[in-house]
Amino acid sequence: MTARTTTKAKTILSARGISNRFGRQVVHDNLSLDINRGEIIGIAGGSGSGKSVLLRTLVGLHEPNAGEVLINGKAVQSIGADEIASLIGVLFQQGALFSSLTVAQNIMVPMREHTALAAEEQERIAAMKLALAGLPADAGIKFPAALSGGMVKRAAFARALALDPKILFLDEPTSDLDPIAASGIDALIRQLNDSLGVTVVIVTHDLTTLFTICDRIAVLVDRNVTVATAEKLMKSDHPWIHEFFHGPRAEGAMKARKASHGN
Amino acid sequence: MPPNKPQPTVEPTRPTVFAKGDGAELELRGELGILTLADARSALKQWSKPGAGRSLDLSGLKSLDTPGALFLRGLRVQGVSLTGVRAEHKALLDLLCGLELEPAPKVKPVRRWRQLVIQIGKGAHDVARAAIDITTFVGRTASWTLRGLMHPASLRPASISRHIAETGIQALPIIGLMAVMIAIVIGYQGVAQLRRFGGEDFTINLVAVSVLREMAVIITAIMVAGRSGSAFTAEIGVMKTRQEVDALQVMGMEPMQVLVVPRVIALVITLPLLTFFADIMGLLGGAAISQFLLDMSPTQYLARLPQVVDGSDLFVGLFKAPVFAFFIASIACMHGLKVSGSAESVGRETTRAVVKSIFLVIALDALFSIVFEKMGI
Repeated sequence: MTARTTTKAKTILSARGISNRFGRQVVHDNLSLDINRGEIIGIAGGSGSGKSVLLRTLVGLHEPNAGEVLINGKAVQSIGADEIASLIGVLFQQGALFSSLTVAQNIMVPMREHTALAAEEQERIAAMKLALAGLPADAGIKFPAALSGGMVKRAAFARALALDPKILFLDEPTSDLDPIAASGIDALIRQLNDSLGVTVVIVTHDLTTLFTICDRIAVLVDRNVTVATAEKLMKSDHPWIHEFFHGPRAEGAMKARKASHGN
Repeated sequence: MPPNKPQPTVEPTRPTVFAKGDGAELELRGELGILTLADARSALKQWSKPGAGRSLDLSGLKSLDTPGALFLRGLRVQGVSLTGVRAEHKALLDLLCGLELEPAPKVKPVRRWRQLVIQIGKGAHDVARAAIDITTFVGRTASWTLRGLMHPASLRPASISRHIAETGIQALPIIGLMAVMIAIVIGYQGVAQLRRFGGEDFTINLVAVSVLREMAVIITAIMVAGRSGSAFTAEIGVMKTRQEVDALQVMGMEPMQVLVVPRVIALVITLPLLTFFADIMGLLGGAAISQFLLDMSPTQYLARLPQVVDGSDLFVGLFKAPVFAFFIASIACMHGLKVSGSAESVGRETTRAVVKSIFLVIALDALFSIVFEKMGI
């Protein structure tokens, strides 16, 4: 990981001067954020600090009041449908699996829409994505309503990975999961990042996720972001950041980081 | 599209993949991915028959994604040795080759004739279940409503008055309009038919009797079932999905008493009032018909009315209203409480509630017609 951060970082996504307002409430004020190719970046912040709005802005679902988001140097709003589908994948908080389709059909939706692959080829690829996301083969014929919370997240993962996106956006991937399932998701993110080289953007409150798998952390405070490694943020004297990284819940997460990083 | 066809320059160049060399040793070059899988397959067509000692050089492969790696895994399983794998592709290839892929289990298709039998059986079972459910729930509702009336302190006047306002007052304009229009429809049909026998004056009898006995109450009940019954189901259903009903129960409040009884009482009060309003509007529609089709002034019409209808016509219509109201409200609340989990289920139960209550209103009306006929009312 140190090798990755020291080599000349190349920006894959860049948000410039983002401002978001809802009525009189200013959520983001001239916010800029650069995301490097191949890194795992965590976006943290208190409830109501605009994490989800930032995620929606980054993927082009929400048009900011000012500023622009560039993916590979192109404005996200101007990227065509085929290209955006193979460029980004989003894991929504509740999974957002289509309830009328089986899990395998859910994974095949983007393939059906954006490629000319034969049906059996799509099925083969869908089965592979399921295995990649750590689901058993028989999960493919189930409907989303029949899955547990952890399995829904994994199935949504498999769908987000359908077209091998370059950037994977994860909205609270470990929320509502028991610690074992949450650790499983963390390991999955790490593995996909290592082997597929996919850039991962995680919006989360989960301190363990932030400390153990994120290369850098973007903390949303005072309508802007502070981006740094966990070590540097630990030393920050901003009161909210200090509280966030030194509160009672941070202690256990810090231990997990030491264990997983072996130092 | 054949890969060698020249592309317009404005479009992004389509990734390509091609094989070099021949015989047992090939070299794959270009970009192997989800968009070029078909090309890769056709490039390696010469290997479609089994053979030994084949090797594929991948050092010229510029990019590789998971479907591409899955394709290579398939080749490796067939005995092809993959050589010259680039360092950046190795992790991906190892990951894919390490995956345990079982073929997805197939769901056995059911024969069409068996499907038919299953559908019929299921349908019959559903109808039987629905009948039992409605009977038990209507019984429970009646028991809780009576208990409420015997202990008026347990009633919730605020809730009842809110439901009266929502189901009654706000429904006045639409119900009034519909009653007038139904009277006009009956009037036109009546005049057209009765004129042949020279009895067009009897149109007034036709309009007044059918409005008072049947049309006003049926139209009002159907409107209320669609308008307020669906609202009851959706309100209670949403409370169910958000566990608000469970919260009531653990706080020691009975959902039947808190949610169902006020709605039932409110609707039993409003539906007769709405029906009476529809009666008046329907008779006003009759006055309009008389004026325009029979050249009969409103005063003459008013004078004729008591001769053609009497109190029993009004009574028959108004008597049915609270009965319909009780069933509409009970069925709506029953389906609301049946909602489970998802938002989808709210929609499904709402539809069922409206369909069942309208069906039941018509069925009860038929029953009432027979009973009143036998009783000579």
